[in-house]
Amino acid sequence: MTSAARSRTGLKRWRKDYFGSPGAALMTLFSLAALGAILWVLVDWGLIRATFGAEGNQETCAAGGGACWSVIAVRWRVILFGIYPFEEQWRAALACGTVALVILLSCIPRLWSFGRLALIWTLGTALFYALMRGGVLGLAPVNEQQWGGLPLTLFVFVATGVIGMPLAIGLALLRRSDYPVIARVSGWIIDTIRSLPLLSILFTCAIVLPFMLPGFLIGEKLYRVVFGAALFFAAYQAEIIRGGFQGIPSGQEEAAKALGLSYWQRMGRIVLPQAFRLALPATINQFVIAFMETSLIVVVGFMELLAAGNTAFKTGDWKFAYAEVYVFIAAIYFTFVFGLSRYGAYLEARMNTGHAKD
Amino acid sequence: MNFKTTTAFGLGMLALSAVAVQADTGDTLKTVQARGTLNCPGDIGSYMGFAEVDDQGNWKGLDIELCRAMTTAIFGDPAKANIVPIDWAQRWPSLQSGDIDIVIKASGGTRSRDTELGLQFSMSYYLGTTKVMAHKELNLASLKDAEGGSICVPASTSTERQVASYLEAKGIKMEIVAIEKNEEVEAAYFSGRCDTYAQWGPVLAIAASQSEAPDSHVLLPDVLALEPEVMITRQGDDNWVDIANWTLTALIYAEQEGITSANVDEIKAAPPSAEIGKFLGATPGMGAGLGLGDDWAYNVIKQVGNYSEIFERSLGQGSPYKMPREMTALWKDGGVLFPLVVD
Repeated sequence: MTSAARSRTGLKRWRKDYFGSPGAALMTLFSLAALGAILWVLVDWGLIRATFGAEGNQETCAAGGGACWSVIAVRWRVILFGIYPFEEQWRAALACGTVALVILLSCIPRLWSFGRLALIWTLGTALFYALMRGGVLGLAPVNEQQWGGLPLTLFVFVATGVIGMPLAIGLALLRRSDYPVIARVSGWIIDTIRSLPLLSILFTCAIVLPFMLPGFLIGEKLYRVVFGAALFFAAYQAEIIRGGFQGIPSGQEEAAKALGLSYWQRMGRIVLPQAFRLALPATINQFVIAFMETSLIVVVGFMELLAAGNTAFKTGDWKFAYAEVYVFIAAIYFTFVFGLSRYGAYLEARMNTGHAKD
Repeated sequence: MNFKTTTAFGLGMLALSAVAVQADTGDTLKTVQARGTLNCPGDIGSYMGFAEVDDQGNWKGLDIELCRAMTTAIFGDPAKANIVPIDWAQRWPSLQSGDIDIVIKASGGTRSRDTELGLQFSMSYYLGTTKVMAHKELNLASLKDAEGGSICVPASTSTERQVASYLEAKGIKMEIVAIEKNEEVEAAYFSGRCDTYAQWGPVLAIAASQSEAPDSHVLLPDVLALEPEVMITRQGDDNWVDIANWTLTALIYAEQEGITSANVDEIKAAPPSAEIGKFLGATPGMGAGLGLGDDWAYNVIKQVGNYSEIFERSLGQGSPYKMPREMTALWKDGGVLFPLVVD
């Protein structure tokens, strides 16, 4: 059906669906009124009676009676960058831009070749790290412990995906290995990691590992934590990919074998692409969860976005304005996650070309 | 304070209790000097008045200032303090693992911390009490009068336990309303959900001073619990505890003798007594035994200030909180703070 035809019948459908009977009409009107009332309260609070600008304070905001966006105007740098050194925060902003650019670039189908993606990500990661960590090109070094806010959240999310995804593919392939020992051991690894809470994995990586590892392996806490998060991500993602494997008829692989394709050719050209297509909705879901879970690193001492937001309003002048800060942070999360899920929907539509059931 | 015991924390501590004994303290001062920074805990977020972040992302607050004072004693430069953002649950594991060198984080000296976690304390730098705030219109003289009413407390904190045991001991029947986050407890009390609100003293005072109508609340005279806040180190490095204690003494002694960051240069040039001369490094002897320079106390006072200066800009008149010194005043002003003898 074309979209024009859809919109013509749309009006009729609407009438039938929402005003089909007196009861339905009443319900529809009531819901509309309720929605309108909620919207009005929000607009009234957030815009009409709100105080904007850096000059606002507790008194002027209380006089206005609405939201106090002044807290964002004054404390936005604390929210976005945490305790990253103030004079160097342009670097953190550039680093965020780099990550966003790399993500956007890798969403463009034309750049989807292993070489191009690898180049984009290597360059992007190197640039991000050089900007954030400093110590090169005359940039002052900034310890990882001082990273905070949005760049830290993005770094943990991206690194979790970049390390976790190959790990997941490896684990999933091992789990369907023809050698029972390998298959079983990787199955145990996956199930063990999945039966531990993420919090305890993070805590172990951050605090307990240094007691057990030899000195040269300890490294910076941030990387241990990212590794823990990636491991957790990989265990779940491996199972999602395995689900994708199971959706592929075994005849395909057998046919490929009969044609004399090697293992890597079979996996790289026949099995994995199809498995990924089947597993795409669950994969996007897993990425969204991974993004949300970045806020857990707060328990091992990192001031990610949400903790930086807490820091921003917890001070003598702004402690009354916590709702505004939370709304601001929610908007940031929403932007990223909504973008991610819309992109997932686009990918699904694109990959399903020629496979649509209807 | 708010040590929320998460599952993760429990798991971590379990693993830690096994390895805590192995954690070799060594010579903390040498480690710190070799590293070039003193690592102290900040907060993951903010603990108002004690560790919070200003508009430019710099740490401030009483605990932070004490860390800067100790850093200045060691390096002569407060900027060498490295404030590590960590959560309440993490302070002990982080201290044991060497991520931080000392815990100055509104933490009391307790038996279990001393004997079970293997920690050691300095003298107290702040006397914290758990108190109760009430709506003024209820006309309560003490918590006893609130019988049958409700009391808001932060959930799963030591405050919650203190309230329960105090009410039980005094035979007062009240409805305890435990709420997770401090902002929510406060919102519940201020919106009238509870008649009273129990909290660690400074947090309570800050809540009252920042509320919409500070005059419509009263602090009840009941003291539910007392907690001396101390600087906490790993067990087994005596010199490190000495440095913590003498840093604190320097701050308090300077206040007692009227030495401030403004007049310290004049006083050092013409010390009124031999003792003060030695204290400020005009004559030798102050630093050798600690492994510090003789002018360490002078540096602390010059660059950070004395205890009164630190307190006033963190919690007192120079801060938004305007808290009185109360018990954390000098002994001669009726408080409990006293310096060791500088001889």
